[in-house]
Amino acid sequence: MGQFMIRRTLYALVTLFILSLTIFTVVRLTGDPVTLLAEPGARAEDLDRVRAEWGLDRPWPIQYLAFAQNIFTGQLGKSFNYQMPVSTLYFQRLPNSLELAFAATLISFFIGIPAGIISAVRVNSGWDSFGKVVALLGLSIPGFWLGLVMILTFSVWLHWLPTSGQGGWRNLIMPAVALGWYFAASLLRLTRSSMLEVLRSEYVKLARLKGLPGYVVLAVHAFKNALIPVLTLAGVNLVVMINAAVIIEVIFAWPGIGRLLYEGIFQRDFPLVQGVVMEAGIMIVVINLIVDVLYAYIDPRIRLTR
Amino acid sequence: MTQETNVPNAKLTRRTVLGTAAAAATALATPFMRSTRAAGAVAPKGKMVLAWHSNIATRWLDPQQHDGTASGDNFLMALHDALIKNFREVRYDHPALAERFEFAEDAKSAWFRLRPGIKFHNGTPVAPEDVKWSYEHYRGASGEVFREKTQGVEIIDNRTVRFHFKEPFLDFPILLGTANVCGAGWIVPAKYYETVGQDGFLQKPIGAGPYKLVSQQPGVKLEFEAFEDYYRPVHVKNLTMVSVPEAATRLAMLERGEADIMYFVPGELIDRVKNNPKLMLAPVVSGNWWLEFPGFQDPKSPFHDKRVRQAVSLAIDRDAINQAESGGMGQVDGNWINDDVEYALPWPKLERNVAKAKQLMAEAGYPNGFNVDWVTPVPNYYSRGERVVAQLQSIGIRARLQVMERGVFQKKMEGGLKEWPGVQIIMNATRIGGTWSNWYDSMFKCGGFQARDFFCVAELDDKFKQYLASYNANERRNLAEQIQREILENYYFVPVFRHAFVNAIGPRIVGTKWQDVFPTYLTSGYPYPWEDIQLKETAAAEK
Repeated sequence: MGQFMIRRTLYALVTLFILSLTIFTVVRLTGDPVTLLAEPGARAEDLDRVRAEWGLDRPWPIQYLAFAQNIFTGQLGKSFNYQMPVSTLYFQRLPNSLELAFAATLISFFIGIPAGIISAVRVNSGWDSFGKVVALLGLSIPGFWLGLVMILTFSVWLHWLPTSGQGGWRNLIMPAVALGWYFAASLLRLTRSSMLEVLRSEYVKLARLKGLPGYVVLAVHAFKNALIPVLTLAGVNLVVMINAAVIIEVIFAWPGIGRLLYEGIFQRDFPLVQGVVMEAGIMIVVINLIVDVLYAYIDPRIRLTR
Repeated sequence: MTQETNVPNAKLTRRTVLGTAAAAATALATPFMRSTRAAGAVAPKGKMVLAWHSNIATRWLDPQQHDGTASGDNFLMALHDALIKNFREVRYDHPALAERFEFAEDAKSAWFRLRPGIKFHNGTPVAPEDVKWSYEHYRGASGEVFREKTQGVEIIDNRTVRFHFKEPFLDFPILLGTANVCGAGWIVPAKYYETVGQDGFLQKPIGAGPYKLVSQQPGVKLEFEAFEDYYRPVHVKNLTMVSVPEAATRLAMLERGEADIMYFVPGELIDRVKNNPKLMLAPVVSGNWWLEFPGFQDPKSPFHDKRVRQAVSLAIDRDAINQAESGGMGQVDGNWINDDVEYALPWPKLERNVAKAKQLMAEAGYPNGFNVDWVTPVPNYYSRGERVVAQLQSIGIRARLQVMERGVFQKKMEGGLKEWPGVQIIMNATRIGGTWSNWYDSMFKCGGFQARDFFCVAELDDKFKQYLASYNANERRNLAEQIQREILENYYFVPVFRHAFVNAIGPRIVGTKWQDVFPTYLTSGYPYPWEDIQLKETAAAEK
């Protein structure tokens, strides 16, 4: 087990190293950020001054070392645009993203899982067809369109909800629905297929033959087992919602991490983009590492294979 | 203008090098000037929300780091104040923290007399030491120019400072007083800034403007409160600036009354505002757009022939572009330099005549037209580039549209001709404040920041040198007009239109026409002065 953990930890570190190199290089390939920090008609000397001020006149390897050093100190550098440590900005926005992501996850659970179960139990019925339509729409309707339609309907026409921003639970409803619906659709599909597979299994047939009531078979024997892949997907979805709800956060002016990333990309704020991507990368790698270790703990076959 | 007895200016000969600026400014501003006592007579009330159209950069809260863009001055005008500034119809020299100032005849010095009793938001008085410190420590746009030309800043008494220059510095007041060009004249509390440092100042900036910052969510929201010790009355108690990047959301906020002013209504939403009787459009005419032909000096370039450049001009349907791109609310005139800057040459609207254009093309040896490798508009205004491409087809010029990200475009512009091989048309644009020379210097002069080696008309650059060396206002004007005339008559640049920065105003704001809310529209796209904006009685009484 110890060797397994060391090996997995090393993999994780290598992954993060590659990620840091990639993001460092990619943001620089997009061009010189100084042109976005100054006006179109700025003088060359003004640009040189800004370039020197931010250390962009130094060779890339030196810049990378500074970036790596910042990762180790946890500061992640200083944002060009906000002139604040990126870690401060990130952790200021993180609670907002968590709030939105948890609300969206709940919505996706409340829609996706019951609808998936009903679709599976009533397979090929009208309910199933309805579930398929919901899933199709959820996966195909762009979040930005859904968000704008909701703003027009519930804010401008009906005056029920505020258009945007963060304020109270009423501000949370529309962005959470717009964000959660896509994930609800994916959960619906996975729950349905997973439930169908479990419902066809031998142990469910045995439970039925034993004369157990249908709801007990469903709840105790089928649903619990079908839930494992669903929860795994939900965990991954949650990480994505926390770090990459860019469009929804922009549409609803929600001050989360996705919007922070958007602002960084838009302003070519290298430290900000690098920092947010690294934080997201670290979150994903650490969660995967924990899952790997837990799987290995539960199932010895995993830790015995390379 | 009355001379103060304690201002030691005996060696200065009184006259105005750049016109009767201060006197005119004072006269124009008279209806808007208030004493400190008058400021106290108005009790600020109510809350106003501005829906800002991009993210809010923290550096915009510090005039010491002015990046020369027209974005930061939206925030400077609320939080800070300058010695002199653009204000309503006055373009750069309206007395602000300085109640009076004078620029020496030889353009080698200038003095400013501060208003009595003015304070920063933390209660400390605005002193000449703050003026000196702010100027000497300024490191933003055009900072190098000030450092090169300034010999020293002298504190004369507890309200007066004098600037000494190494050589005549004719553009000093224009640079100092144009909020969207430079921040050297914007005063920060020196001791506070030194104590908290640059980063600390950005977190809790303190200024001397009409609004003090109460809280900020970096990039997202700024909450201000009226500064009741300001020397002019401030009418609205709470001002919130919130960043809402999505235009449809901004408009929904305005429609629902969550915001009172929104910036940047894109073309597709203009009709929605027009059709809503509660809302008012504020189409502030902004930057100029023109076509340029990098490398036209090369005899192999089809644009080497003046007739071809003229044909391009004749083929462009400027009104159609204005209609499509700015809902017809932009301005179609003849110069590529905005008419709101010093010495800009008025020029009549350019003719559209496709038949004549075809004839010129034939005379130039291109009866069947020719291919242009790329037409590249300033990102991300691609649709107007497409319109130019389509219109040029009418005279046989077959072009393709090139789109690129803004940073890449800027980088290529900095790179000069080698970055623009072949036959190219650039649809360029800018809005630079102050004086025409800033435009020529950046956009046309050989070696200019966006001109590099694109044009290099030696004769005009020589005249520009004469202009810069001259201390005679008449001679400078003549040279400025000659240079602009030659650019236009030779079609070195083909002006297209001035686009409109279209904003919208909600029903809670007092105003019968949009200019009531945007009175400084000649020099800015934003609704200055903030302190003058008023809410209707019902809105002001809302809790």
